[in-house]
Amino acid sequence: MGKILWVDLSKQSFQIKPLDKNIIRDFIGGRGSGVKILYDHLKKGTDPFSEKNLLIFATGPLTGTPVPMSGRFSAITLSPLTKTILDSNCGGNFGLQLKHAGFDMLVIEGKAKKIIYLAITPDSIKFENAEDLKGKTTIETRNIIEKKEKKKGSVVTIGPAGENKVRFASAENDGRFLGRGGIGAVMGSKNLKAIYAKGDKKIKVADPKSLEFFIYESRKWLKANPITSTGLPKFGTAVLMNIVHEAGILPINNFKSNQFASASDLSGEEVTEKLFIKKRACYRCPVACGRITKTSSKQGEGPEFETLWSLGALLGINDISWVAETGYLCNELGLDTISAGSTIACAMEMEEKGFISVGLKFGKKENIHKVLKDIAFRENIGNEMAEGSLLFSRKFGTGNESISVKGLELPAYDPRSAHGMALAYVTSNRGGCHLRAYMIAPELLGIPKKIDRFSDNGKAGLVAVMQDSAAASDSLIICRFASFAISDEYFSRLLSAVTGEDISTMNFRLIGERIFNLERLFNLREGFSFKDDNLPSRLILENLNKKRKINIDKMLNEYYRFRGWDDNGVPTSKKLEMLGLK
Amino acid sequence: MSLLKEFSRIGRDLFLSGLVSSHGGNISIRAGDKIIITRRGSMLAHLNKEDLIETGLYKDDSGIIMASTEIIVHRAIYFNTSALAIVHSHPPAAIALSLFMDEIIPIDSEASYLLHKIPVIATKETIGSKDVANIIPDYLQEYKIVMLRGHGAFSIGDILEEAYMLHSTLENACRIIAYGKIFGNAFKEYRKDGNKYTKW
Repeated sequence: MGKILWVDLSKQSFQIKPLDKNIIRDFIGGRGSGVKILYDHLKKGTDPFSEKNLLIFATGPLTGTPVPMSGRFSAITLSPLTKTILDSNCGGNFGLQLKHAGFDMLVIEGKAKKIIYLAITPDSIKFENAEDLKGKTTIETRNIIEKKEKKKGSVVTIGPAGENKVRFASAENDGRFLGRGGIGAVMGSKNLKAIYAKGDKKIKVADPKSLEFFIYESRKWLKANPITSTGLPKFGTAVLMNIVHEAGILPINNFKSNQFASASDLSGEEVTEKLFIKKRACYRCPVACGRITKTSSKQGEGPEFETLWSLGALLGINDISWVAETGYLCNELGLDTISAGSTIACAMEMEEKGFISVGLKFGKKENIHKVLKDIAFRENIGNEMAEGSLLFSRKFGTGNESISVKGLELPAYDPRSAHGMALAYVTSNRGGCHLRAYMIAPELLGIPKKIDRFSDNGKAGLVAVMQDSAAASDSLIICRFASFAISDEYFSRLLSAVTGEDISTMNFRLIGERIFNLERLFNLREGFSFKDDNLPSRLILENLNKKRKINIDKMLNEYYRFRGWDDNGVPTSKKLEMLGLK
Repeated sequence: MSLLKEFSRIGRDLFLSGLVSSHGGNISIRAGDKIIITRRGSMLAHLNKEDLIETGLYKDDSGIIMASTEIIVHRAIYFNTSALAIVHSHPPAAIALSLFMDEIIPIDSEASYLLHKIPVIATKETIGSKDVANIIPDYLQEYKIVMLRGHGAFSIGDILEEAYMLHSTLENACRIIAYGKIFGNAFKEYRKDGNKYTKW
């Protein structure tokens, strides 16, 4: 029987609750279980920054087992950036330590009167004063708490951006990040500067022999596949830069172009040659795509592909050392690099149009560091930009300068050159995200097979199936990159071996479908509708490729029908009954 | 002939002659310090320009993530032989024989002249495998085509068509051996020193 540690920060109290076995059966763990608990306990219309909002940290059945690439955990909450449901997934050791401490999930409600950090061990749950950590960076906070707690555990921290409720503030854990959607801001709104966890309880699996076999078979593919055996280990996620750019998919200058002559200056090859110090791997990960890097003056984590894009190519900047340092700065301040870069790009375009005057210009590095600090500390124009690009552009520009869906800034894939990605963005339950259905896999990388990326035909079903699969694997939890080499047939067998329950591949996907539909219900309850399933107008109207334009309406109609939703994008009674959600 | 046309011609024939399944097999050529190899999971019978992946021969670059799973073996072969082209196929009769034999000795005339003997090597992991990459180049120093037990054949050539021909010859030879088994284990030797082929 799993356990939930349920903490009330307002009362500085906690309860240990059993994790309902039906939740495990129907939602697996991680993202799925977190979504279920949030849906059941959060009232419609809750302010994301109110003490009523819940912040859930969830492990999955695979957490702490020897399954490769399973060293991750999820955080689930109501997003302050998008007002949608939000789950974010991180590769630090916090989930592992939480589970070793005896808990599958941590649910946080309320708000501490003063800044605190939470310390979780098998023997005690402590609410420690952290007023002295106010204004400290993520890394400073981690170092201080690690020193104070003596036993090496794992610390989730926020930086100044989280404290100041920047709507796209991240949370850091062991050099990895809960990046998107403002998890850090929700922690800040609760006066929760950090969470420390340390445990030593053993993690058991139901069928170790079968698990050993399935792990061996999984490892065979991870070793055989050039992406997981060579590309990611050797170059990190930045291995994508040249491939994505050459395909015309890399957005430049706030999505005004897809051509950047200097894109290769920001490639994985350049990171390896100019910045690389060593690899960093998540727990039980043979791939080790993380990078520790160094410039002439600083050392830090990353830059990941998305960071090289958002703080580099998207802004028309090709100075890799500067981009790395800007990434370090965002990490320290606790800012999501995608949203931070995109909000800067939005401001550059607004300045170009004469709406604002901040001193930001495409291709120029000047003032960017200052503006990022202003965002984190909510000073000057930074206070407005801290609301996210959509609110910022609506207030000072036309609203069209924000390249976002449901308020979440789009990542490094221009959907005009990968039409399936367009549908994935508009139907993603946390806003414009590439990880709900990574259509770049079939549209560019040929996984599982190559499809025409400029076509709208047949994308609806594929997006839906990939979303369901992703929802289920985010609940196991296993890294999305594992899907480059192994698929649902492996995941369902690994899950069966760990839990002792016979879970077929189709049932695994059905669970994913249930999770995805429940997330949709959550968003509908919060007032979202089919009207929000839309792309920024630039991506519909402007055609970069002289190829076919995206026909988002056609794809959406097909998608709703495939999903068993009505014309307004609402799941039908029949569908909900089939999923056990009625 | 353009490179795409050459790859397409060989790829199509590999499929049509049953030497690979719909998405099986891979082909490469060496071009200076680059390797041009079919995309991972591509259909050899329907190759287009996005299916030809150029990546470093000695040095990894980002092209690696699109390359065939067997690039590790192709590279090892180019490092250790003078090959300019490599074909990897999954010939059914040859695979079947590889499960029962440690070497395949053709009994037909064409393969006897061209191949004499095809070594069969075995590893526990057979796809994109370091073990295969370590072993196969040594055999290709002596033989132009080698069978990997239960998996398929790797051949080398100066041009792609030459490397392809070896697979076609091998598979024909194996079919003839298999047909011959229908008529009994012994066959009427017609070659001078036919019993010495095993020493080839």
